[in-house]
Amino acid sequence: VKGIVRNEKNENIAGVSVTVTNAKTQFNAGVQTDSSGVFSFSNLPPGNGYSFTISSVGYESQTLSGYQLKPGATLSVIVKLKEVTAALNDVVVVGYGTSRRKDLTGAVASVKGKDLVTQGVNSVEKSLQGRLPGVAVESAGGDPGSGTRILIRGVGTLGNATPLYIVDGIPVASISNLLPGDIESIDVLKDASAAAIYGSRAANGVVLISTKTGKTGKTQINFAGNYGLQKIARTLDVLDAQQWAEVSNQAHDAAGLPRLDIAKNPEQLGKGTDWQKEIFRTAPVQSYEMNISGGSDQTKYSISGGYLDQQGIVKVTGYSRYNLRIRSETTKGKFKIGETVLLSKENWNRIPSSGGNPVGGAAKSIPVFEVYDPTALGGFSGAYGPVVNIINPVAQLNLIKTKNETNSVLLNLYAEYGITKDLKYKFNVGHTLASGTGYNYTQRYQVGALFSNPTNVLNESQDQSKMLLLENTLNYDKTFGRHKLQVLVGYTMQKNSYRFWSESNNNLPDGLDVQDAGSGTASVGGNRIESALLSQLGRIVYGYDNRFLFTGSFRRDGSSRFGKNNRYGNFPSLAAGWNLSEEKFFTPLSKVFDAFKLRVSYGELGNQEIADYAYIPTIASNANYAIGTDQHKWFGAIQQAFADPNIKWENTKTVDIGIDAALFNNKLNITADYFKKKSTDVLLNVPIPGSVGSVSNPVTNAGSIENHGVEVGASYTDRINKFKYTIGATASVIRNKVLSLGEGNQPIYGGQPTQNGASTTVTGVGGPVTAFKLIQTNGIFNSQEEVDNYLGKNGQKIQPNAAPGDIRFVDANGDGKIDDNDRVYCGSPFPKLEYGVNFAASWNNFDAAVVVQGMYGNSIYNAFRQELESMSYEFNYSTATLNAWTSNNHSNIPRAIISDPNVNDRTSARFLESGAYVRLKSLQLGYNFSPALLQRAHISSLRAYISCDNLFTITSYKGYNPDIGRTGSIFDRGVDFVFVSYPLPRVVSFGIQMSF
Amino acid sequence: CSKDTLDKVNPNVLTSDTYWKNETDVLQAMAATYYLLPAYNSGYWSTRGVEVTNARGDDFFIRNDVTDLYKISTFINTADNAIVTNIFNNQYQGIFKANQVLANIDRAALTDDKKKVYLAEAKFLRGLFFFNLVINFGDVPLRISIPSSSSDYNLAKSPEADVWAQIYKDFTEAAADLPVAWSGEWLGRATKGAALGYLGKAYLYSKDYANAATTLHQLTASPFAYALRKNYEDNFTDAFENNEESLFEVQIQDAGGPYFWAGNSSQLALGTFTAQEFAPSEVAGWFEAAPTDKLLHEFEKEKTQSGDYDPRMYATLVWDYPGATYYNKPFKSFALWSGFHSMFRKYQNWKKDNELTGSNGSSFVTSINERVLRYADVLLMLAEALTMDGKVGEAYPYLNQVRNRANLAPFPAGTDKDKMMAEIRHQRMIEFAREGTRFYDLKRWGLLQQELTNSDKVGREFFIPKKYDYFPVPQAEINTNHLAEQNPNW
Repeated sequence: VKGIVRNEKNENIAGVSVTVTNAKTQFNAGVQTDSSGVFSFSNLPPGNGYSFTISSVGYESQTLSGYQLKPGATLSVIVKLKEVTAALNDVVVVGYGTSRRKDLTGAVASVKGKDLVTQGVNSVEKSLQGRLPGVAVESAGGDPGSGTRILIRGVGTLGNATPLYIVDGIPVASISNLLPGDIESIDVLKDASAAAIYGSRAANGVVLISTKTGKTGKTQINFAGNYGLQKIARTLDVLDAQQWAEVSNQAHDAAGLPRLDIAKNPEQLGKGTDWQKEIFRTAPVQSYEMNISGGSDQTKYSISGGYLDQQGIVKVTGYSRYNLRIRSETTKGKFKIGETVLLSKENWNRIPSSGGNPVGGAAKSIPVFEVYDPTALGGFSGAYGPVVNIINPVAQLNLIKTKNETNSVLLNLYAEYGITKDLKYKFNVGHTLASGTGYNYTQRYQVGALFSNPTNVLNESQDQSKMLLLENTLNYDKTFGRHKLQVLVGYTMQKNSYRFWSESNNNLPDGLDVQDAGSGTASVGGNRIESALLSQLGRIVYGYDNRFLFTGSFRRDGSSRFGKNNRYGNFPSLAAGWNLSEEKFFTPLSKVFDAFKLRVSYGELGNQEIADYAYIPTIASNANYAIGTDQHKWFGAIQQAFADPNIKWENTKTVDIGIDAALFNNKLNITADYFKKKSTDVLLNVPIPGSVGSVSNPVTNAGSIENHGVEVGASYTDRINKFKYTIGATASVIRNKVLSLGEGNQPIYGGQPTQNGASTTVTGVGGPVTAFKLIQTNGIFNSQEEVDNYLGKNGQKIQPNAAPGDIRFVDANGDGKIDDNDRVYCGSPFPKLEYGVNFAASWNNFDAAVVVQGMYGNSIYNAFRQELESMSYEFNYSTATLNAWTSNNHSNIPRAIISDPNVNDRTSARFLESGAYVRLKSLQLGYNFSPALLQRAHISSLRAYISCDNLFTITSYKGYNPDIGRTGSIFDRGVDFVFVSYPLPRVVSFGIQMSF
Repeated sequence: CSKDTLDKVNPNVLTSDTYWKNETDVLQAMAATYYLLPAYNSGYWSTRGVEVTNARGDDFFIRNDVTDLYKISTFINTADNAIVTNIFNNQYQGIFKANQVLANIDRAALTDDKKKVYLAEAKFLRGLFFFNLVINFGDVPLRISIPSSSSDYNLAKSPEADVWAQIYKDFTEAAADLPVAWSGEWLGRATKGAALGYLGKAYLYSKDYANAATTLHQLTASPFAYALRKNYEDNFTDAFENNEESLFEVQIQDAGGPYFWAGNSSQLALGTFTAQEFAPSEVAGWFEAAPTDKLLHEFEKEKTQSGDYDPRMYATLVWDYPGATYYNKPFKSFALWSGFHSMFRKYQNWKKDNELTGSNGSSFVTSINERVLRYADVLLMLAEALTMDGKVGEAYPYLNQVRNRANLAPFPAGTDKDKMMAEIRHQRMIEFAREGTRFYDLKRWGLLQQELTNSDKVGREFFIPKKYDYFPVPQAEINTNHLAEQNPNW
């Protein structure tokens, strides 16, 4: 058999795989085309039932079947392969249905599972970083099993800005437990038109994840395995023992305070303990997944399992995950029945939550202290004397065991009935169940002089989150000539419930860790939360002649989170699309443009992401007091906080104008959007004055915020002979502005950098959300004269406590003193530009993929540097303090003085740094073994690769990592507070992907 | 599913509209108000509270560990000091709770007699919270009702005199209806004597000496039976709590749960960790505070009639005297890390081996009640009020009761006002060391600058008169209350 393979332009294609199989005789063989596109098989056994499969990257595969070979005869074939670059034909998942990208009227960003395969990361969310325009993915640190924060189109709200995640139609709280290899596609609904069908919870965007389905045909088995090593990318430069003692002595001498005993003889101390070295390690990570899929015309299935074991770069920490997934669909007559079953089990060995974060502790621990002391209870040494009480981080990691386990179940069962050919009814039952256990065991110890725990203490907890979703939808889909109409109506109900229990006991014998073993005082706790959502929804999509497209959707939601009068919210949207490229007048341009579409949409979305029952003032209990001759517990209960009974839906109105274009024979695809979104009645715990007497801030509809921005995504795919490549790029530019705030438009202060001290961010009307407003500095006083001459209007000293070597702060308001009123705008934690570039290429059997990602124009408040450079604390300092100001060394680091009377370490612009960075996020090199080589092992494809994550980051930021992963309150954004941090590792891994 | 699906009732808590039905609810509300007094991070008699009220005295040193605390003690604190903010907020949380009792008592099924007592008790507590505010912050918002809408959240400061007027009113009304004593199950709640004592103290602090003397004098006679405890030291241990010398104590006990930081939870410890906070590291303490040598020397000024040091000196401090022991160890086995030459015994569990004294998991819990108002204070305040009112002669018996208990000879008769005041100041300094009065006494005597300057207190050079007489209004309050104004000089 001889053949030649050509493309649509009749050019011969080299390196195409051709396999021949005979189902009857179980024969199979494979070859590749030569440089002139020719392939040949010789000596094939005679017979009938031969089929040839021709496949190549960038082309649609073709199977030619039913060939008969007669003895001695030859056969020649000419194959024409079709290129698969027409991205606009891709199917995109939208809420309660799918659409061709060509027919979309909303802003939807998509990524296919196969494009994620070439990244070594083991969480779905992280793989999205830099991939989708307008979708910012921030790591929540490198803590194994840590989540991420996804922000779609900036911050439209001041509360919870997490998008709505939907997996196979079911809302879930998090997607970090998914197996990356299970992902068929991720579609992010960004504008109101696309997301409106999820009305009430869609204001932060919707992330739709579809898992893999089976395809008609031969059973396929895929296996992937990966093994890698992770290492900390960068440690902080802190002093060794001798250096520390010298700086400490200098600081005490300057303050006129006695030197610390442990610092008395610096020259005898040597290097001391390198605490960072003691807690970090090179940690292995491994993952395996297998997928079996296939099906007949009637039933298709896909079953997969996976295992991940990731040890953390901080000793003791780790994460492991087991996954099992079953998805199938059966069509019989008018019925279609299907399900998704997703099971996962996750285990975390966490950083201990008590005693401060050991990562911060390692940088701050004084190097004079030692790690181990075999004679001490527990075996560890530690701090003593009048120093800040930082526990030996190695002891903390080993003496306090903090573990969590979560078992998650996601079930989606559906039945569809075709009432007529065009009208279908679908009933969907969704259920999720997450059961978690928490375990915290603190063994008896004496660590140094400052930390003791005389008895073994065990705390355990359990929680359970349940969700039930019932959905009834009717779908009508009909094409009449040039008219295409789709109508959807639905009624849904969702119930959520959560339960929590905890128990603890102490005085456990060594080696036992069950509650019954404790002989101390047992204590228990527990609570329960319930919520519900009732919704009616509808959507009409109308297309005319492939030219004009209209979408109108509507959702009405009722939420238990609001009082009776404010329970329901209506969320309408309208959108139109115009395929200009289908118009006659476009013909002159059609040589360049294969497609060009203009989209316009407007819609309203809601947000109800507040705590349950927030509108009802409650009686807080267990505000107890001792009373009586025996001083017994007197149970106390009273209202401690205020509630706003009139809270209502937060509302976001979005206008979006976008284009989708394909150029140069579909080689270049561009999607660009401009949007403006205005959120009103923003739900927020607005800080109220302490003099009100409330222990917490009530949730109120606090104001309005506007975001507008431009986002562009482009990809270019081409080939130069055997070299095939794709370059993709995304960029987003988003600006936000606060239009109004609650009572009296009082600004909101946040981002307190350390446990003490002033806030760093101010969110005020007319400005951006969480603007950094800080006292500015203007060098260092080099002489007493300079201090004395730094005077206010009335001749008073602006900094009365200052001495030479102290920082000169700027009296911005000219009132002759330095205080919070001198804070000026210094930057924003939000980048001016976020971008990502990805590159994928193949040549013969080799392939490569690179993802670069970064941001520009943002600031980070380095709160950790504020501590390490302060020299007013009795802990270790940054090496920068070696250059502290002295009368002989006029540096830019203030003098060492332990009492710091000028408060040089106050919250100021001194610690604000540029957060811009460019990161080579992943680099992967792969090799595809040739089918001919593999056929004997009955393997149809085998790829081996080497992958590097976070290979390098270009940044001027001095902390561990500019992607600081600060979760929690939006007002703390951009503040790098190492008490909550875990550095991002660099990972090098090796893996294989195999199909049979 | 029906529309009821959306009616979710919080299963964890009661709601305010269904509360206040009966006496149990009122009692629980009252407990929740007392709860704030030792509340772990913010209560006026919590560990932090004790540190804050003592930190600025010329007799007190705080080491540079908890930065905000150190800054307070060395007069470099700024308006964003979190510890001061917590103390400020705690007082207003208490006022909010007391106001709730006052506003809702009529909803509960109670006899008029009982109602009167609860009202009086709530007024006492509200007066106490305002007292703590006014002596620390000066002018403060006078919040005497519950805000009915969010616009009421903003409230301007009232002049100090108006706050004092409210304090007189609350203590006067409280004194009228509170019982002379509680016993058994309810020992430790506010009494008539506590209200009168605080009323007298309030008059004295605002220099209304005549009213102060009249009010305090009532406490020396029937129906009251207050007396000095023979052994001074009994006032600072957990063995003789709520004794005859005590007008009001914050009840602290190793009961409830094991955790100080548990907040509103059944696991909340009802003890504090103050003793552990002050103890040296050799006995499992945090050694956050130490007495200055000025205090040590003040004690040395006068010996007892038997030629020994004042028994109050032994009860208050440990220093290097022959046979001195501390936590059952010789004094010499302790490193004096502070540079000062003594350590506190008062309120420490120093007769045990170390401060790991509690029964629970976090076992450094102390159970020693904080004595808020002692009869010794009543006597010295009465002596002072009389002296300042020009009745120096009448002050002797009260002063001498205090001297006599310390085995000091009666104060020489025929002295003038200045000498009498000097003696009262001396007695107050040594009688109430570590009891949170020194800074406030110096302030009302106008001696802050002088006494700080002539002390060995760390940070004395940063004291700026007038400015540091008061704390600044917390920055968080300025940031959220648009009627708030910063204190003068800040």
